[in-house]
Amino acid sequence: MKLILLLLTLSTSLYANNICTSNLEALAVQTGGRTKPYYVMANENIKFIVGKSKYNKMDARELFCRLSFDYLEPSNIDLPIKVEHIDTKKLLGLDAGATSIPASAAMDKLPQLRSEYQKQKFSSSYKKDLEKVIMRIQNLDQIKLGAVWKVPKFRDSQIVWHALKDIFTVKDQLSNATEELTQMDKKYIETENDDHLLELRYFKSHLFGYSLAFLLTAIFLLVIFKKTLYGLISIGIAVAIQLVAITMRVLISGRAPITNMYETVMFSGLGALIIGLIIYAVRKDKKFVLAGSAYNILCLMMMIFANNMISAAITPLVPVLRDNFWLSTHVTCIILSYAGLALSWILANMALFDLRFRGATEIKYYQDLIYTAIKAGVVLLAAGIILGGVWADYSWGRYWGWDPKETWSLIVLLFYMGVLHGKNTPWINNKRFIVLSAAGFMTVMMAWFGVNYILASGLHSYGFSEGGAIFLFSFFAIQIAYIFITAFDTKMFKKS
Amino acid sequence: MEKLLRTIGDVERYLGSMKFAVLIIFGFMVMNIYGTFMESYHGTEYANRLVYKSWWFMGTQFLMFLSITIATTLRLPFKKTLYGFYVIHLGLIMTFIGSYVTYMSGIDGSLELVPGTPSNTVVINQDQFKVKNMSTGKAIYLNLPMNAGPVDMNRKVGAVKLLKFLPSSTTQDQWRVGVPSDTTGKYLLYNDNVSQEFMMSMSPKSDYKSSLKMGLLTIHYMPEILFNCFKTQSKSGYLIWNLNTSECFSIESKNIPVDKTDAGNPALTFTHEGKDHHFFPDFSPLPINKDFTKNANSPFRIFSRKLFEDKPNLFIFGKTLAYFKKRGKKWIGKEFEMGKDIKLPWMNFKLKFVDFRKGQYPVKVPTYVIPTQENGKVVEGEAKAALVSAGGQEFWITSEKPLTLQKGNEKISMALGKKLLKLPYQISLNRFKMDKDPGTNNPASYESFVQLLDGRKEGKASEHHVYMNNPLQYDGMTFYQASYFPFGQEDFGSIFSVNFDPGRPLKYLGAILLVLGSIWHYVIRRKNKGSFFQSLKSSGT
Repeated sequence: MKLILLLLTLSTSLYANNICTSNLEALAVQTGGRTKPYYVMANENIKFIVGKSKYNKMDARELFCRLSFDYLEPSNIDLPIKVEHIDTKKLLGLDAGATSIPASAAMDKLPQLRSEYQKQKFSSSYKKDLEKVIMRIQNLDQIKLGAVWKVPKFRDSQIVWHALKDIFTVKDQLSNATEELTQMDKKYIETENDDHLLELRYFKSHLFGYSLAFLLTAIFLLVIFKKTLYGLISIGIAVAIQLVAITMRVLISGRAPITNMYETVMFSGLGALIIGLIIYAVRKDKKFVLAGSAYNILCLMMMIFANNMISAAITPLVPVLRDNFWLSTHVTCIILSYAGLALSWILANMALFDLRFRGATEIKYYQDLIYTAIKAGVVLLAAGIILGGVWADYSWGRYWGWDPKETWSLIVLLFYMGVLHGKNTPWINNKRFIVLSAAGFMTVMMAWFGVNYILASGLHSYGFSEGGAIFLFSFFAIQIAYIFITAFDTKMFKKS
Repeated sequence: MEKLLRTIGDVERYLGSMKFAVLIIFGFMVMNIYGTFMESYHGTEYANRLVYKSWWFMGTQFLMFLSITIATTLRLPFKKTLYGFYVIHLGLIMTFIGSYVTYMSGIDGSLELVPGTPSNTVVINQDQFKVKNMSTGKAIYLNLPMNAGPVDMNRKVGAVKLLKFLPSSTTQDQWRVGVPSDTTGKYLLYNDNVSQEFMMSMSPKSDYKSSLKMGLLTIHYMPEILFNCFKTQSKSGYLIWNLNTSECFSIESKNIPVDKTDAGNPALTFTHEGKDHHFFPDFSPLPINKDFTKNANSPFRIFSRKLFEDKPNLFIFGKTLAYFKKRGKKWIGKEFEMGKDIKLPWMNFKLKFVDFRKGQYPVKVPTYVIPTQENGKVVEGEAKAALVSAGGQEFWITSEKPLTLQKGNEKISMALGKKLLKLPYQISLNRFKMDKDPGTNNPASYESFVQLLDGRKEGKASEHHVYMNNPLQYDGMTFYQASYFPFGQEDFGSIFSVNFDPGRPLKYLGAILLVLGSIWHYVIRRKNKGSFFQSLKSSGT
């Protein structure tokens, strides 16, 4: 009996079996308002639903394909749907340790999830998780109906994007579906472009991962083996790889690489390292290179491992941001200023560590290093805010509107201006200057992430995510604790 | 005199001192942080009223301006090492003056364009109380203050007096004493997916209505006495009731025959105490006089239940209810029992009894509330309200509910709204174009094709194309594509933000000086170890 069932399932998915094990990843598809390679779409969808891109020994490409043909041939794949919030788990009858619910079970609970969502009067992390789970179930449902995968079909020499279900309406058509899909893609490339192939290469090459490896190697070479030259060569390779990756991203999206959280993290990381290298070229102090590399490593780790918080997907821009000139000048200035301030932050924390644990005493020397980085950051920040004002004035007739993003960038500037002015008063001596520089980056983090993840309103919304708030609070807690540990008994409260 | 001069000198030196600068910078920073959190919790307008447009926030900015100006003058005559400093601080001074000019004489509003209808009305973001005498057409406007909390105004505006202004409000139910027929009930309608509490009142003075639509279901609130009639079956479905005696009956119970008019409409005659009452139930619930006018003085009403059998209709009579059950074609009457909810025949809905009152009626009275914002949207407290005194009586009006009063022969209307500015030319929207991201419903761009007609100038109207980052400039005003709204089935209307900013040149010049100055001061300044390149070189060994 079991054998018959097994044979039955195998025979029912015979066509899909053939299609889905062939090489589909380079096909052009349309999703989320853009043309992408199949590989990227499959990974984005499966990752959103499951939380990772593999299930049951099948990768996202195969899973997505089999599910997409489910409307003609049952796929018999019961995909696990990711569930995060403890109360959502309770509602679905899951253990606290469970991380997912099988799609078949989730489908039955959909009305219950919906009514629970409706009952939540106020927005909370529970309500957001409910919404996400519902979206995941609906997303899977749409995939299984053959509605998500859209392919280019030519009609009167014009491309019309069709959902799979409109191309293949009966099972028999699937016998040569692979060829048909390949043909469509060929024709698309002939008449339109092959930009999606570049995107495929970009996402498959994992350039940022390699760059991270070279940077980690560089840190080892510089700190432990004291091989400055080899360290610098390694850093040079890491910078080159990131430049290639960013260039690819610019070519794919057709705009400056600074339009969402992921891209700003990417850009500031490289920016800080380059600023560090420039200062090193003049001042010959390795600390700038170390600080730049350390910050770049943090950014790369965030990009690679915190994908739930900052999405790597390339998506279309909201209309108001579609101005390449202003976008590139204003945001580049702001992000580079964050890079400069990040450099000062790392240097300040390094200084605190050295002064506390390594017996260093040259407070003036450290103060000088940090001051150099802060000056670069502050000039860029002032210029960036002003450019933002000019853009706002030019775009919607308002130089300044007390929008939270605007206000927070002003708060950052005020903080550093306060510290720079205070340096000339007896209130802020060299030691306190170092402490304030380490703490000051919290205002940058608030302006950069906090406005989106904590305040989450206003014109500059890149999107809210719960993980972001947790990340930010952890950052604040760790930074404050670090300052307490390193700065408390080193006479910081005595005037120098 | 000398002492006074010395004090002034001391104050001046303090205001221009570095310590004062540090204090004012950090103080201003804290205020800004407070503002952003208020904005996040309570919305943009409340944050503006509470912080950004408040006297102390403005005052702090003025102190900053003083600090900068005095710090600059104290460092005169010019010293070569301080050129960067002078340029930065001059830039700041110009920016402050420019902002002040904009604040005092700038215009910032919005213009709503409906396709094909010319408009010249710009809505300014300034709340106004408006009193209009409908007979003479004369209108008086009073600008309302930017307070965050409730304000006691006590200002006479034309024939009325404005007592109170609530910049943000919600309504609360208050009970007023009424007549015995004023009945009010409160219920909860729910199923597994939705729940909705509602209140209905028979009193014409109440702010709550006696009929309500919820999706496909219509709910009618009726006098209690009708329940007994509604629950009985009758072939014709006609019920008659007497408002004076509170009696009701079906026509079958009094053996009243139904005739047909020549046009085929039902007609019937009911005799009470020797007097005939003629009804055309499809035409009116009132009896009809001989001359075919409605007799509004009659205590009798007729009700045709047949009209409510097709669609879901629920009749509530205080603590009882009735509906027509399609399966079985019967009228069902039910009573609320203690703690038991009544199951309704539509989509698993149940009705819960919450409250019932007799001889009282509820009115909605505005009360002040701090607005609440969620996910970037104000969800409570958006309405503004004002308490007005006219003819010895007090009335509430809100931004959603204006009021018209009859005072002797005069009709006076009162409203809370925004200040309006009439442009001396007309703009009309010829076409609105929206591009979407391929395969989605997200707008990729929106563009307006408009025509501008200036009556002051001879000649033809001019055509303009306004889109994101490409505003229209005319006669000192700038029109920006800001937003859009759906209009009719497929079309869209367009919203422009309108701006007049005389402070702009000063602010731009200030900004340029500021950037140049900070580069000078921090990056290329010589003869000072604090400068960027200097510090690079000095320790580059």
